[in-house]
Amino acid sequence: MEILRVEDLSFRYPKAEKPALSHIDFTVESGEFIVLCGPSGCGKTTLLRLLKKEVAPFGEKTGSIFFEGAPQESLTCAGEMGFVQQNPESQIVTDKVWHELAFGLENLGVPTDVIRRRVGEMASFFGIENWFRQKTDELSGGQKQLLNLASVMVMQPKLLILDEPTGQLDPIAASDFIATLQKLNRELGLTILLAEHRLEEVFPIADRIIMMEDGGILLNGEPRSIGPGLSKLDAAHHMSCALPSAVRIWQGLDIGGTCPLTVKEGREFLKRNYSGQTVTLPEPEYLHEEATVEMKNVWFRYERDLPDIMRGVSVKVYRGEIFSILGGNGAGKTTALCVVAGLLKAYRGKILINGKQVKDYKGNTLYRRCLAFLPQDPQTVFALDTVRADLSEMTEMMEIDKSEREKRLDEISARLGISHLLDRHPYDLSGGEQQKCALAKVLLSEPEILLLDEPTKGLDAYAKQNLRDTLRELKATGVTVLTVTHDVEFAAETADRCALFFDGEFISADTPRKFFAENNFYTTAANRMARELWKNAVTCEQVVECCKSVGGAK
Amino acid sequence: MKKDILTVFGLVLILTVLFSGTHIQSVDEYYLTHIDDIRPESETVTLSIRCDTILENYDELDPALRSDEYVPSDGVILPPTEYVLREGDTVFDILDRAVRYNKIQMEFQGSEESPFGSVYIEGIHYLYEFSCGPLSGWMYRVDGEFPNYGCSRYELHDGQVIEWVYTCDLGSDVGAGWNEYSGGQRK
Amino acid sequence: MKAFGNIHPSVLMMYFLSVMLVSMFASNPIIQAEALFGGALFCLCIQKRGTALRDAGFYISLFLMVAVTNPLFSHNGKTPLFFLNGNPVTLEALLCGVSIAVMVIGVLLWCKCYSEIMTSDKFLYLFGRIIPKLSLVLSMALRFIPAYIRQSRRVSRAQKAMGLYSGKSISDRVRNRMRVLTAMISWSLENAMDVSASMKARGYGQKKRTDFSIFRFQRSDCALFAVCIVLLSVPLVGMAAGVTDFTYYPGISRIETSPAAVAVYAAFGALSVLPSVLEAKEAIIWKYYVSKI
Repeated sequence: MEILRVEDLSFRYPKAEKPALSHIDFTVESGEFIVLCGPSGCGKTTLLRLLKKEVAPFGEKTGSIFFEGAPQESLTCAGEMGFVQQNPESQIVTDKVWHELAFGLENLGVPTDVIRRRVGEMASFFGIENWFRQKTDELSGGQKQLLNLASVMVMQPKLLILDEPTGQLDPIAASDFIATLQKLNRELGLTILLAEHRLEEVFPIADRIIMMEDGGILLNGEPRSIGPGLSKLDAAHHMSCALPSAVRIWQGLDIGGTCPLTVKEGREFLKRNYSGQTVTLPEPEYLHEEATVEMKNVWFRYERDLPDIMRGVSVKVYRGEIFSILGGNGAGKTTALCVVAGLLKAYRGKILINGKQVKDYKGNTLYRRCLAFLPQDPQTVFALDTVRADLSEMTEMMEIDKSEREKRLDEISARLGISHLLDRHPYDLSGGEQQKCALAKVLLSEPEILLLDEPTKGLDAYAKQNLRDTLRELKATGVTVLTVTHDVEFAAETADRCALFFDGEFISADTPRKFFAENNFYTTAANRMARELWKNAVTCEQVVECCKSVGGAK
Repeated sequence: MKKDILTVFGLVLILTVLFSGTHIQSVDEYYLTHIDDIRPESETVTLSIRCDTILENYDELDPALRSDEYVPSDGVILPPTEYVLREGDTVFDILDRAVRYNKIQMEFQGSEESPFGSVYIEGIHYLYEFSCGPLSGWMYRVDGEFPNYGCSRYELHDGQVIEWVYTCDLGSDVGAGWNEYSGGQRK
Repeated sequence: MKAFGNIHPSVLMMYFLSVMLVSMFASNPIIQAEALFGGALFCLCIQKRGTALRDAGFYISLFLMVAVTNPLFSHNGKTPLFFLNGNPVTLEALLCGVSIAVMVIGVLLWCKCYSEIMTSDKFLYLFGRIIPKLSLVLSMALRFIPAYIRQSRRVSRAQKAMGLYSGKSISDRVRNRMRVLTAMISWSLENAMDVSASMKARGYGQKKRTDFSIFRFQRSDCALFAVCIVLLSVPLVGMAAGVTDFTYYPGISRIETSPAAVAVYAAFGALSVLPSVLEAKEAIIWKYYVSKI
């Protein structure tokens, strides 16, 4: 049975030159799990918001949307269609978990004893009982997003719309969230329309994938048909980078057969086509220059009574390398970065930046032409009304000529490709754009050492590639980059060396090939697929290259 | 936070004590007052302390004070007594000497030496302002007139008669206008 | 925390208000001591030992300071100990200071218990009964404030790491505050848009709202309410009739021991140890229950 039908939907924001959506047509059957993907700015959010009339944006709209056969305008009940947004933080309305759960039902005027039952039911389904009476503020990001989902689910929607709900979550919380969605779809037969960047996990469980580009639908079909479909359009389509590793490897090899979706299928696919013994690829010795950041036996804790976050950390980061710190949630990676940046003080040990102790940098000297820190949330970097104002403020700080300032600003904006964004308000930009502008601001202090905290959070695959290129360019100019990330794939593709931060220490620091080859679980999907053939091939490109070098399929 | 509260509290306490002075006397020392003997050539003034008005407003009196011990049945706390006037004595000096000599309790506010303002008598013989209704308090009269300023600024001359009287009605019950009361001590 | 905290908010509110008001306005040392004892006992019940010990230091020092302050400013009383600047420092004033200190510490302890037990949701629930709209606004504010504080810390840290006005001089610090504030205004507006979308998406403003709460008035609450009323009415009537009046000036009065006064002491004593007794009862029942398993 059809639950949603979109007919020839076009939409244009006021004052915009290009329409945000043009001629969108699709239907959703009851009980389907549909994943909507595409680079940011392709109109996913606009489309989803138009479907939910309570949050629909203002603008010129043509075409029609039918919900259960009736035109959308005639719908009166907000509970029929659930809507979850990206940011777990800002959707929570009230201060207590139980109140948040009841909020939607209160709005619908449901009697309190019915609310009690439904809230109880949902809390147990989602495993919320343990934190039912807690303050919403004390929850972790994953719990918050789960609460957002549950508080929509109490209203018993027939269709659930989610706009990149895992964008701000760490990988484990994201997997949990996706697993919950799968459970809702399977056990309750709930129809789900999910916009998502992280396709690795949702691809195999989706019934259908709708791929969007530039306000139109590029592909619409079964997950297995997406890889071949995209290849048919263009062998090296720029959207391929967003697809799951198995699909990318399949596409890269271009040897036909059914398209694998999961690691398991991918591994079988490779085995079927390229058998042989496990080979460890030769690894050139890692050459490095002198250390620019050095930690010697550093200990840190937030308060006297709290446990140590850093327990005698010793590590060297060499000039001109990209060093990635990986690690689980709450392992203290960000704390370690803040200690290096001089924002937190270690109670024991030495931190040397260019051979000089952090505490010996007086005033702002550490943050001028030396070290720059880009926090997790790029919004926090901006304090003014336009990107340009924010950037020029930074140039003013640099004690250089006025004419030079303008030049510097233009140069950086051109390099990062943000020249067209300079007169916008920082908060109006997309996540990827915000991050580039924030990076530009931070780079204006001409740092030798750049610290990045979770730079890939909320970015789509395309923006990640962009970021990788930017970092490589910076590296080429001699900048040392130290990143903290959850994103194993990004680290494998970008870093010169990776290290695992666990239990207050760096457990190992090695080149990505060595680092990931040693790990069994904590490694890239591509490596997990191919490790029985090439033990230390970690990225999709490397796997494809190795396969091709071995020569033709059996 | 809690430490801060204690520190601020403690500092204020110490400052107050330091500011108001730390002249400590034992009880005996305090009451040990030399009253000059009256000789023919010495200048004298007469001082009396009375609280007759309370007797008329007994029901307004603080229950804790309803006793002969605090309010003498004749209303006389100190009968008219002559005291030797020393050079530059004010009404306050005479009162202070008299109560010490007679071991009558007295509490005042302000400092004698204070260049601004003057001493204000809050209570004599456990009878305080507001002890007998909201309009009650101590006033003084010199030669039948209520002066318009504080008792430590009123310098006395030979033969003057000082009466400290307790009023229950802003002075109108002891023969002073409202204006005079307000100036009688405060100011 | 378990036994007393689970009682219905309205009963809790009435209880705390009555205990605090009685101990604030009673001058009788026995009533004050009972309030202090009850408060301290209950604090011990609901707090961790460590914090209780650390707090004890604070309360004792505060006690001493308050007790000393009174005789410095009040010189009434029949028994002078010594004279300070010509004014007597009396035994009566000192004892009155002690009594004030007992009262202050007692009320503080009860306030502490209040804040532990009457969490914001219980308070909001009571409020919501009277003004439902306001209770939602308050609940949203309580949600917003911690988020705001966290974000402003992040902004401040990010600005510091860029070396913008991160000096120690006052002008730098003021400018830094101003910057954080302007950034936070944008953030708040942005946040408000998301929240309102989330509210609208969940049907806010479409129908008349109901007001859900997790608190239910149970029979045990009813019984406790009755007990509280009875225990409270005795001291109220007694105090109004002046049975337990007590004065410090000019002389310290005798502690009243008439049957009526004793009844007041007993009733108020029972009222002030009531929460601790409930906690203890719960603990004993639990122990017994566990031992049976």
